[in-house]
Amino acid sequence: MLDELRQRLTTLQKATGLDSDPGLVPFGIAEVDAALGGGLAPGALHEIAAAGEPHLAAATGFTLGLAALPASSSRGANGVSEPGATRKHLVWIAEDMALAESGAPYGPGLDAFTLDPERLLTVTVGHRRDLLWTMEEALRCHAIGAAIGEIRHGPLDAVAVRRLSLAAAQSGALALLLRASPARDASTAATRWIVGAAPSLPVPDFEFGAPRFAAQLIRNRRGPTGSWIFEWRENDERFILATHTVPVAAPARDRSRQKIA
Amino acid sequence: MRDASAFAHSDSSSLRSAETLSEPPLVIYGKRGNADVLTAVDEDAETLGLHAGMALTQARAMHPAIEALEEDSQADAALLDNIADWCLRYTPLVATDPPDGLLLDIGGCAHLYGGESELVADLGQRIAQAGFTYRIAIAGTIGAAYAAAHGGRPAAYDTGTERAILLPLPLMALRLPPETVASLARVGLKRVRDIADLPRSPLTARFGGDLLRQLDRALGLEHEPLNPRLPVAPYVAEQRFHEPIGREDDVLGTVEKLAGRLAIALERRGDGARRLELTLFRTDGALRRIATGCARPLRNAQDIRALFAERLAALADEYDPGFGFDMVRLAVAVAEPAPAEQIGIGAAEDARELVRLVDRLSARLGAGRVRRTVAHDSHIPEQAAAMMPAQNTGRDLHDRALGWDAFRRHRATTELAPRPLRLLNQPEPIEALAEVPDGPPLRFRWRRAQHDVIAADGPERIEGDWWSEPASFARQQPHNLTRDYFRVEDESGHRFWLFRAGLYRDVTPHDMAQGRAPGWFVHGTFA
Repeated sequence: MLDELRQRLTTLQKATGLDSDPGLVPFGIAEVDAALGGGLAPGALHEIAAAGEPHLAAATGFTLGLAALPASSSRGANGVSEPGATRKHLVWIAEDMALAESGAPYGPGLDAFTLDPERLLTVTVGHRRDLLWTMEEALRCHAIGAAIGEIRHGPLDAVAVRRLSLAAAQSGALALLLRASPARDASTAATRWIVGAAPSLPVPDFEFGAPRFAAQLIRNRRGPTGSWIFEWRENDERFILATHTVPVAAPARDRSRQKIA
Repeated sequence: MRDASAFAHSDSSSLRSAETLSEPPLVIYGKRGNADVLTAVDEDAETLGLHAGMALTQARAMHPAIEALEEDSQADAALLDNIADWCLRYTPLVATDPPDGLLLDIGGCAHLYGGESELVADLGQRIAQAGFTYRIAIAGTIGAAYAAAHGGRPAAYDTGTERAILLPLPLMALRLPPETVASLARVGLKRVRDIADLPRSPLTARFGGDLLRQLDRALGLEHEPLNPRLPVAPYVAEQRFHEPIGREDDVLGTVEKLAGRLAIALERRGDGARRLELTLFRTDGALRRIATGCARPLRNAQDIRALFAERLAALADEYDPGFGFDMVRLAVAVAEPAPAEQIGIGAAEDARELVRLVDRLSARLGAGRVRRTVAHDSHIPEQAAAMMPAQNTGRDLHDRALGWDAFRRHRATTELAPRPLRLLNQPEPIEALAEVPDGPPLRFRWRRAQHDVIAADGPERIEGDWWSEPASFARQQPHNLTRDYFRVEDESGHRFWLFRAGLYRDVTPHDMAQGRAPGWFVHGTFA
């Protein structure tokens, strides 16, 4: 009886990603990996909130970058990926209004974040509870490597979130909650991030620089919080720390409203 | 083939018969030609000598106290359809015979009720309980059953007695147009027996081929097909209960049992179910039909049960068993050849898991909500990728079927400019200020926020469809105009995909004077 309870306790603890799991997925950035205790925990829930409505695209990119981490870290030394061959599928669940307002994931642009469009399953739902149900179902499916639940506003049912953590822990899939704005509700998420866009570093011939993200780790069950500016390297399929050749601003905030004439 | 023709007064007159006698006699009337004619009367009115076909004015003159209501033929038709659905419990082959008749092909079904007369008794009792009057006849042909129900003595007749049923009946019983009946009557031919043995060619010459065809069909000399109201499923299994069942678990258990039976039949012919229909017959006559689709041909009973478990869960409160279901029918509405199940490993196992997930989600949320992205060979951005229901994107959801390999080759050879991460459903108009007419905007305002552009990349020119009018700027639809796309970054690092619809060189001074100039739009966002 006692053994059984102990075992159950172990599984429950596992769910929150507190144990030192050898399957951690490193960012490849020493500073960040140290804070995360080795890397991002798969089989756990991570919450990414856009710093504000206009930052949702940046938060989307960051979320897809996180979803791509397990694949890039498990690849061989040559760094060549085989499109669609061995990687698992990704489910993107959003409420009806979310995709209408912020745009739907666009196939031809997804591979900037190493997501082959054929690996994407998009689900739209009418109710928040359907979203959480779908996400849990997806996490329990072995064909799914990551499930992204996109939530616009409003609080989340803490019990449902905990169920997501458990489902992720059981299958090892990555559960990612993408929120349009930061929320203050309690959460069992292993990490919580607030992500905004950051100005890119212009490259000499006036082309665009790589996208940059101002990311704040505001909650981390395994270690300290932190704040970094990441740059997504499309060719390497990973994040690097933005080099400080331009002044690093505080995490971007929504300045658009100040300028309304 | 055995046909039953049920004839029910499917209008409100019969409903009134159960009410108190203090109500005035009720008649229903409708416009026939230029006159209001009675179409149905209740029992009280009938005892007063009123009957269908009488002019409303005449009826009113005879009995000023009657209550007359105008017919509602649409409601009558809907009611008839409802009763037809309800009759599906006896046979899947049910056809309506408007305005008030039903045809049931009960060949091979009557033994389930212990015989034809038992079936008639059961049907009659249930129809009477619902408050309708009825006349039911069973005969070997549709025509004979119809004639017996409408003009003769309603009963169960043996095959071969068609002639005996028909001969004494008026010609109207042959389902002939009224004009034909009238012209026959003018030459003294009033009953079936009057024409049954007449020489055929003069009859055809004078009254048309329909007359003898109807007679031959009624007599069983010519086959008459029944057009069932609903398509008949290729595979059907059903279960009746003496004690109605209501609990969801019981229903699902029955589904699994029926699915097991269907699986044997499906396997024998190498088929799998692509679309399944569950019909629950409530004891009070109400029907609940639940359909679900599958991404790949399915015949595993547990999988089928799981799909209906999702559908029932999605119904929630709408799943209303009332006093229980006394019959459950599971039908494969669409079947498709399915290869024998294989035990796969690795990628194949994942593919099967994915199919299962897609089916579950589609059953619960609706197939249109679970989608995959399919590449299309189009240079117009909103057409280059389409969201398709995942269940429709090919057997086993093969990744290669989605067409992205071709897109990747195309992008590599043409060095296509980057595409946004999220694309808006509709390009949204913005107020933009550009330094040079054909250059990128310096600043723009979108959704009440102003953005100062600090970096821009472009233009990437995307021509409108070549087949669209190459006429003047003013005449073109905005979505057909040539677009110049720019990738821009604002001062806080937000990245947008903007385009200008139309070229300044196409704009005439007259257009400008009319306030028509190329407009700017946001079409997507980059990370």
